[in-house]
Amino acid sequence: MKRRNDRQAFLAESTVDPGRRRLLKAAGLGIGSLGLAGTGLMTSTPARAVKTNARIVIVGAGAAGLAAANRLSSRLDGARITLIDRRERHLYQPGLTLVATGLWKPGQTIDENKRYVPRNVEWIHASVSEFEPDANQVVTDTGQRVDYDYLVVTTGLHVDFDAIEGMSPELIGREGIGCVYDNPEHANRTWEMIDRYTTEGGVGLFTRGPGGIKCAGAPLKVAMLTEDLAQRHGNRDRLEMIYNSPSAGLFSQPDMDQFLKEEFPRRDIDINWHHRLVGIEPEQHRATFDTPEGEVRLDYDFIHVVPPMRAPDALGNSPLAWQEGGFADDGNWMEVDRHSMQHPRYPNVFGAGDCVGTPIGKTAASVKAQVPVVVDNLVSVMAGRQLTASYDGYTSCPLITSRGQAILVEFDYNLDMVPSFPFISPYREHWVPWIMKDKFLKAAYNAMLRGRV
Amino acid sequence: MAFSIFGIFAVLLEFIRPLLPLILAVVIIDLVLLLLALRNNGLAGTLAALKRVLPVGLVVFMLGLLFGPWLTGAGHGNLAGILDWLSLFGAAVGLGVLALLVVWPPVALLRSKNA
Repeated sequence: MKRRNDRQAFLAESTVDPGRRRLLKAAGLGIGSLGLAGTGLMTSTPARAVKTNARIVIVGAGAAGLAAANRLSSRLDGARITLIDRRERHLYQPGLTLVATGLWKPGQTIDENKRYVPRNVEWIHASVSEFEPDANQVVTDTGQRVDYDYLVVTTGLHVDFDAIEGMSPELIGREGIGCVYDNPEHANRTWEMIDRYTTEGGVGLFTRGPGGIKCAGAPLKVAMLTEDLAQRHGNRDRLEMIYNSPSAGLFSQPDMDQFLKEEFPRRDIDINWHHRLVGIEPEQHRATFDTPEGEVRLDYDFIHVVPPMRAPDALGNSPLAWQEGGFADDGNWMEVDRHSMQHPRYPNVFGAGDCVGTPIGKTAASVKAQVPVVVDNLVSVMAGRQLTASYDGYTSCPLITSRGQAILVEFDYNLDMVPSFPFISPYREHWVPWIMKDKFLKAAYNAMLRGRV
Repeated sequence: MAFSIFGIFAVLLEFIRPLLPLILAVVIIDLVLLLLALRNNGLAGTLAALKRVLPVGLVVFMLGLLFGPWLTGAGHGNLAGILDWLSLFGAAVGLGVLALLVVWPPVALLRSKNA
């Protein structure tokens, strides 16, 4: 693969005529102008597009896929960009916590992918069932083989309900079972359960899947907003709330971890450490946890189930996945260089979003930081240049602690706080981050999908 | 995570996008009314009408201060520190100015008709 890229680099600067080579050359010339175009204040993309006829395939029309499609579409002139995803519906997943706690209607999180797919991008309405990076091909579930020169993998992830014995998505909204993840229908049915629980009271178990999960703040937010709701209903003393962490921490960022370790007891939310949900008996309202002392069974009136998550099978079982190590064991995540977002073994392949195996991330904020890096570096690869764009691990969580207050937590791979707005403390609850989460972040998200931020 | 000016405008555009037709209609109607008022009253007369609508702006500003947090599903008890209070004050000022600008052209035109 290294040889292939060296060759492309040569072609990009040569005068070889036919086919793709000519356009790779054009791409190289276009790249030259890229530096001159710069990124001024009033534009987020270079003024002149890079000429190329490279075939670029983007797998997945979630946040990362659409943002990449829009950015590549404006950065490249003549590229044949193909987006592959069966889903017509686009879900604003950061809003699901708000749906599950009764603050938003489900419709507020539902949009259409077609509103964001650029006109010059071909959209194949199918799912990719096989990745064949050695042949530079993907195969769809309809049997179509799609060739590419460059591949951007943005499949999202799979919420593994089957990893919990007795659990299935159909149980959400029944027998006191809730789960904020995956879609607004789940979130809305979760709200029905939370509404009942905060009215009638009882034992509430709040769980968190082990390893990498998307929006890792969501289980914490659901617990705190449920507690806040019970306070507002005047029923707090009727609720016994227990948060079950699969590890010895609550949050990866140490300052926030410490804050939550003080906040939960202050709000009378008990914490069970090293409790990983492994089974559920819906009829008996009983959950089984794997702990260092063996299996523990707890009865509940309400349970927030957060299953483990992993890469979709087509990706996780492909050569693109990590072949060994923590990211392979955790969820068969896609292998990328954590800074360049390039696949180390297939340099014409990049990844972004929930599917990649990086130490932190799996948020829309991570996508906002990753996609420009992917696009910049992909264009550099096309031109045979060194990769200069680097993802620093930026991720963000507007940690809602109660209705009307949140902490805007932003941090990087070093787990250092990196606030976008220096005047907003990342250590303190404020009203302003709540407004941002409730009113403005969806607008920022939509602008990201269009490749404008 | 820095935002460029372009990016901030892009986010604002997405924020108002659902209301864009309504906003454009109000802006066009107000501009037409303002032009008619300028033709009838001249600049001085039209500007004088601004004084008449100042109370409207003040009332909306006060309402913004009182009900701003409530409009966001929060309460004044959720405001913590100078950042939140300054933001509320700024938002209320913005609402007041907006109300003033919306009401000014029709009032200026009515003034010319009554004169």
